Amino acid sequence: MRRPRWLIPWLLMAPGLLWLLAFFVLPNLQMVAMSLSSGTIGTGFQLTWEFNNYLGAFGRFPDNFRNSLVYGGLATLLTFLIGYPLAYGIAFRGGRYKNLLLFLVIAPFFTSFLIRVISWRIILGDNGPIIAIARDVLSLVPANFSIINTPLAVVSGLTYQFLPFMVLPLYVSLEKIDHRLIEAARDLYAGPWRRGGLVWGAAGGALLVGVLLFALGYADPSLDGLLGSLPVMVVGGFAGAGIGSLLVSESFVRVTFPLSLPGVFAGSILVFIPAIGDFVNAELLGNPKTQMVGNVIQGRFLQQNDYPTAAALSFILMAAILVAIAIYARVLGTEELTGGRA
Amino acid sequence: MSEHATSRIQAALSRRRFLQGTTLAGFGAFLAACSGGSSPSPTGAASPAPGDTTPPSSGPQQPTGPLNFANWDAYVDVEDDGVTSPTLVEFTETYGVEVNYANAQIEDNAGFVATIRPQLQAGVDTGWDLIVLTDWMAAKIVEAGWAEKIDEANIPDAVANLRDELKGLPWDPNQEYHYPWQSGATGIGYNSVSTGRELTKVADLFDPAFATKVTLLNEVRDTLSLIHRMLQAQGLASDNPSEELTVEDVQAVVDYVQPFVDSGHIRAFTGNEYLADFGTGTTWAAIVWSGDLASSAGPDDVFVYPEEGSNIWTDNMLIPKGAKNKYTAELMVNWVYDVERAARLANWIYYISPVNGVADAITELDPEAGDNPLLFPPADVVAKQHPLPNWSEADESAILDLFSTLTGE
Repeated sequence: MRRPRWLIPWLLMAPGLLWLLAFFVLPNLQMVAMSLSSGTIGTGFQLTWEFNNYLGAFGRFPDNFRNSLVYGGLATLLTFLIGYPLAYGIAFRGGRYKNLLLFLVIAPFFTSFLIRVISWRIILGDNGPIIAIARDVLSLVPANFSIINTPLAVVSGLTYQFLPFMVLPLYVSLEKIDHRLIEAARDLYAGPWRRGGLVWGAAGGALLVGVLLFALGYADPSLDGLLGSLPVMVVGGFAGAGIGSLLVSESFVRVTFPLSLPGVFAGSILVFIPAIGDFVNAELLGNPKTQMVGNVIQGRFLQQNDYPTAAALSFILMAAILVAIAIYARVLGTEELTGGRA
Repeated sequence: MSEHATSRIQAALSRRRFLQGTTLAGFGAFLAACSGGSSPSPTGAASPAPGDTTPPSSGPQQPTGPLNFANWDAYVDVEDDGVTSPTLVEFTETYGVEVNYANAQIEDNAGFVATIRPQLQAGVDTGWDLIVLTDWMAAKIVEAGWAEKIDEANIPDAVANLRDELKGLPWDPNQEYHYPWQSGATGIGYNSVSTGRELTKVADLFDPAFATKVTLLNEVRDTLSLIHRMLQAQGLASDNPSEELTVEDVQAVVDYVQPFVDSGHIRAFTGNEYLADFGTGTTWAAIVWSGDLASSAGPDDVFVYPEEGSNIWTDNMLIPKGAKNKYTAELMVNWVYDVERAARLANWIYYISPVNGVADAITELDPEAGDNPLLFPPADVVAKQHPLPNWSEADESAILDLFSTLTGE
């Protein structure tokens, strides 16, 4: 008896689909029901179609949502800026040390996640090595400056924890690039990215410094704050212009980077989605004003047994992430993402 | 077929067989890993499904095992390797039953109970035979009927040696469901070198000289009751004793503390992490638990019982309903109430022992420990010690909401 052809794909997908159904779809349906319920853990939760839970949840914790988006976004940006040169170096210049270098990138993951975050409390502490260098040796910061329990500490922790998630997809994507295309670009007079590098580098550098200062709370969101941070932004602009015009080549801008966009997309999602939902870094490295949505959800679930609000917050977070990813995919363009053409 | 084709097919067959073999082996390993230990215990030995147990026979009871014992961190004496506990090893040698001691399984009361609440509500075995919870959570467990009654015939030492101050609690007046493991005090800890002076009151934490160097506890009952008593001493709060904090009292505390949090004077709300902060000099003064500084602090870190009065809390042993090895759990409860063993435990844990006569026994092991006020608070301190508040469910959610506005969650 001939097996009907239409059945075969379904049979192949059946294990995966059943797993998704049992461990993803059904729990999510249960959580949706919980988010529309009311009651307490003592009296039990009843499904009362309480759509107010969503409005109330969003209205009560706007700061936490803002913190999550800002810190998650900054972490993604910083892991990209740190991880791309790292992946590029390993892929293009690694030679026979490629595997060793990749192993070194992943090696911290062998320790427990919690230990890594707690050890950063000590590294960023007021008598720790980083402050000692910045304050005592280089005198870059005033005497009462501290990093721990500030947004800078939270973003640093997030960047450190998620760096491998950005480096590995970028490496895979860069590894596949055909070097003959770069040779061809050089044959066609691709040189240092002078004019474009100057403009884009200066703008990018100044913008990056400005975003960091405002988002991490070191400059007030006002005109005075803007004027006060102009000097540092100018320095950033100069640095960016220098890097852009001297270290970046046109073949990179026109050939390598567009070909690596699938890796950029994959790495960004792998960092952005867990970073927004993270709560451990904000709890151990932050202060009461830097708490993220993940902390609120954890507190509501475990401390206050307020399951409806926690479930509603989880779904709002899920929706926000889906919207952000959809916009991101649209901006990057779907052909580049599937590696169709540069 | 040509030789070349035959050998290629042979090679392909053997490669296919190799792939099949490794897939089966991998699948088998995956199944084994899944069904093996699944709980996140650091000792790695705690799995929620204990080994087989024989049903109690009608004759003299035999202890069954292994005993699944969940506890907080640093709460049992350990050798230098940091894992073997003399007390537990001797228990195994005497009774022939393994002890599955899940160190640091409990990091906070609400978080741990959240993991066993579904089983307790459904009336099935939680996988634990003995757990240790603080007063207020133990009260909730007992009031919900989720604790087994302890058979007094099996615990003669515990009944005889329990300190009188710990008897007759309102939520278990006849001592039927719980026995204290260790008590502790909450007070003020500070680094004498960084602060440059002595601190004696909770109010000293709010000294402007210590801005950004102060942390409070994220344990809501400790923090709120200490600050409430500080406000009472300053005439800024009601006369309610701190054991009976009302929502209005908490509102007054939150209103007082909020400006200090906003300005960054109070840097964070921590759990045990304050120990690392004292070590790095990030925190100069904080609300702390007595035993942590006693056992793990630097030479300049000092613990004081504040003038406004400190908190005394007790972590209690409970046997959850449906425990498979109830008799063995009772034997363990009795085991740690022997005076010599209790002295050895207290000498290591450096908290306050619930066993009578430990003060004398401990001077043989460590002469200084007998005089240590963190282990044996003097009478004038004991007179000003208050237990932690207990709230009704409605009050509790309102108070937790208020506290979460302080901690930012």
